[in-house]
Amino acid sequence: MTTSVEELELKDRLSLIESMIAEGRRTTASYGWTFVLWGVAYYVAIIWNSMSSFYLAWPITMVSACVLMGVLVWRKRKNSGSSPVTTMRRAIWSIWISMGLSMFVILDAIGYSGRLTDWRIFAAVAATLVGGANAASSLTLKWKLQFACAIVWWTSAVISCFGTNLQSSIAFLAANFLCQIVFGIYLMIREACARRQAVAHA
Amino acid sequence: MPELPELNPVIHGKLRLALLSLLVGVEEAEFTWLRAKTGSTDGNLGAQLVKLEEAGYVAVEKKFVQRKPQSLYRITEAGRAAFIEYVQAIKQMLGSAI
Repeated sequence: MTTSVEELELKDRLSLIESMIAEGRRTTASYGWTFVLWGVAYYVAIIWNSMSSFYLAWPITMVSACVLMGVLVWRKRKNSGSSPVTTMRRAIWSIWISMGLSMFVILDAIGYSGRLTDWRIFAAVAATLVGGANAASSLTLKWKLQFACAIVWWTSAVISCFGTNLQSSIAFLAANFLCQIVFGIYLMIREACARRQAVAHA
Repeated sequence: MPELPELNPVIHGKLRLALLSLLVGVEEAEFTWLRAKTGSTDGNLGAQLVKLEEAGYVAVEKKFVQRKPQSLYRITEAGRAAFIEYVQAIKQMLGSAI
């Protein structure tokens, strides 16, 4: 009898540990909007650059998107409080921040050096870097759908290497639409469902 | 027959065990987040966290953010080791029952 009660208590403790660890890892943080924001920023930069050929169109749009994202993250944290940082969350942020910095450095460098004579080089480098970040993120999260996004970006990079200017532009715009806008909106819907479940669970 | 291990009494308390289980998966957590996740009262939560702190299992950092006090808790290396030992002890005690 006593043994049975003790056994039940121990099982109860184990189940408490499992549920609390899962609870700690459950995240209500949202990232979908960042994909949409950057997708829109790429479109703004492309349209601005193609309409005016202003050489600062890309840097200004990218820096503005960075500032806007920083402000939105700050406001979100201020309004809803910060959920704790898990190792996974830090790993994912590290991947995207590293990709952003790499993109900023290399694209600005080839732009200002005057060696960016072909839009297709720009598109290929940008698509490869974004694809790499998606791949690293998907492998960390074990998420096949995001790896599919990486493949779409890499395909767009390869098309830029071999295709015409028009083909390169279409491939880049299509990859941006699918992997930033559509994927971002899908993420936002998923996150909203997860938040509703978390509220129901509480 | 091998001797069964004893369970660490500091960790065995339900709320303290819940707190360590939460902290083991995150880098650090605010008092308010721990309160929301465990559903405990401020007083009880504070008292259990003090016990864990006294045992050297959690460390606390108190600061002011926008003039509001904020307490950040994180599990220490000793806390992590004790937690792992506790889980292994439970599994050993349960043996084939799990």
